[in-house]
Amino acid sequence: MAASTQSSGRGDARVAALLTWVIPGAGHVYLGAPLFGIVAFIVVTGLYLLGIRFSEGMAFEFLQPDLRSPIAPALTPEVGNLSAVIWHMRTYGFGPAFPRPWPAHIDLGTFLTACSGVLNACLACKAHFDARVPKGMRTTRPSPGLLVLAGWVVPGLGHWLQRRRLRAGIVFVVVAGFVVLGTLLADGANLDRERHFYYWSGQFLAGAPAWILELLHGHALVRAEIPYGDAGLAFAGVGGLLNILAWLDVYGVAERDGLAHLEPEAPPAREVTA
Amino acid sequence: MIDPFLHLVLFAAIGIGIVALAAFYSEPEDSQALPALPRRFAVFVVGCGVLALVVVIAEHTVASVR
Repeated sequence: MAASTQSSGRGDARVAALLTWVIPGAGHVYLGAPLFGIVAFIVVTGLYLLGIRFSEGMAFEFLQPDLRSPIAPALTPEVGNLSAVIWHMRTYGFGPAFPRPWPAHIDLGTFLTACSGVLNACLACKAHFDARVPKGMRTTRPSPGLLVLAGWVVPGLGHWLQRRRLRAGIVFVVVAGFVVLGTLLADGANLDRERHFYYWSGQFLAGAPAWILELLHGHALVRAEIPYGDAGLAFAGVGGLLNILAWLDVYGVAERDGLAHLEPEAPPAREVTA
Repeated sequence: MIDPFLHLVLFAAIGIGIVALAAFYSEPEDSQALPALPRRFAVFVVGCGVLALVVVIAEHTVASVR
C-alpha cells in the first residue's frame, strides 16, 4: 500500500489528499504546485464564504434540536471542506436558543456551502492522483478529479468521458431515476433541506437531477399526508449515495489509466544537426 | 393502508439499482458485471429476507413493547 501511494511520485498521496481535505489547496502546495493550491483555496473557500453570506451561517439551524451535536455536520456534504465546516460550527453553530426567520436566500447559501464540500473532495482526488505522477511527467488522460466532478454534476458523465457508454447510461438511469421516482413518491417534500436535512445531503450527491428538481419545485408547503413520503425519501437518498459508488469506479479506472499514459511535461529540446 | 404489491415493486426497483451499481463497482469490465447481476440480485433478496425475518422475530420477542 505504501509503495503504491509513495513510489516515485511527487509526494505521499495520502498526505496530499488529507492536507487538501483539511485545507483546500494545501495538498498541491505540499506537492510543489503552490499557484494551483492558492487558486484552489480561493475558489473552494470563496464558494463556502459566499454560501455563508447568503445563508447567514444558519445552515445547521435546519437540524431539529434532538439531532444537534458537535459531530452533526459530519454527515453533510460540507464536511468535504473540513476547516470551513469546523470554522462554521465554531462561529455560527446552531444559532441562538430561540427560533428566528430564515434569510431570503438561505437555500442558495446552503447549496453553495454543500458544493464547496464536494468540490474540495474532488480536489482531494486530484491531489491524490497528482502525488503519484512522477516529477517531470504528466498524464495525457483527463484528471481523475475532473472525471469525478463530472460524475457528480451529471451522473454517469464520468463514465461517458471514459468511453464506458453502457455503464454511463445505467448509472444515469439508476441515479437520476431514483431521484425522480423519490420526488414523485414524496410529492417533492424530499427536496427541502430544512424539512429533511440528512436525506437532502444524500440526494444532493446525485447532482443536477436533484438540483433541477429542487429549483423547479420551489420548496412547496406540505398540506396533506404523503402516503409514500418515506419511500420517496429513501429512493432519492439512495440514488445520491449510489452515485458515490459510481465516482469510486470512475476514479479507480481513471487513476490506473492516467498512470499508464504519462509523458514528459516539457518535450526535450531537439538537437540541432548541421 | 399498505399495498403489498406496490411495496414489492418498490423493493425490486431499489434492489435492482443497488445491485447494479454495486456490481459495477466490484467489476471493472461490463462483460463480467452484467452476467453477475441475476445471482447478485438473488443474494440481495435472500439477504433482505433473512434480515426481515430477524426484525420480525425481534419485534415479537426481545424488542416487543407489549
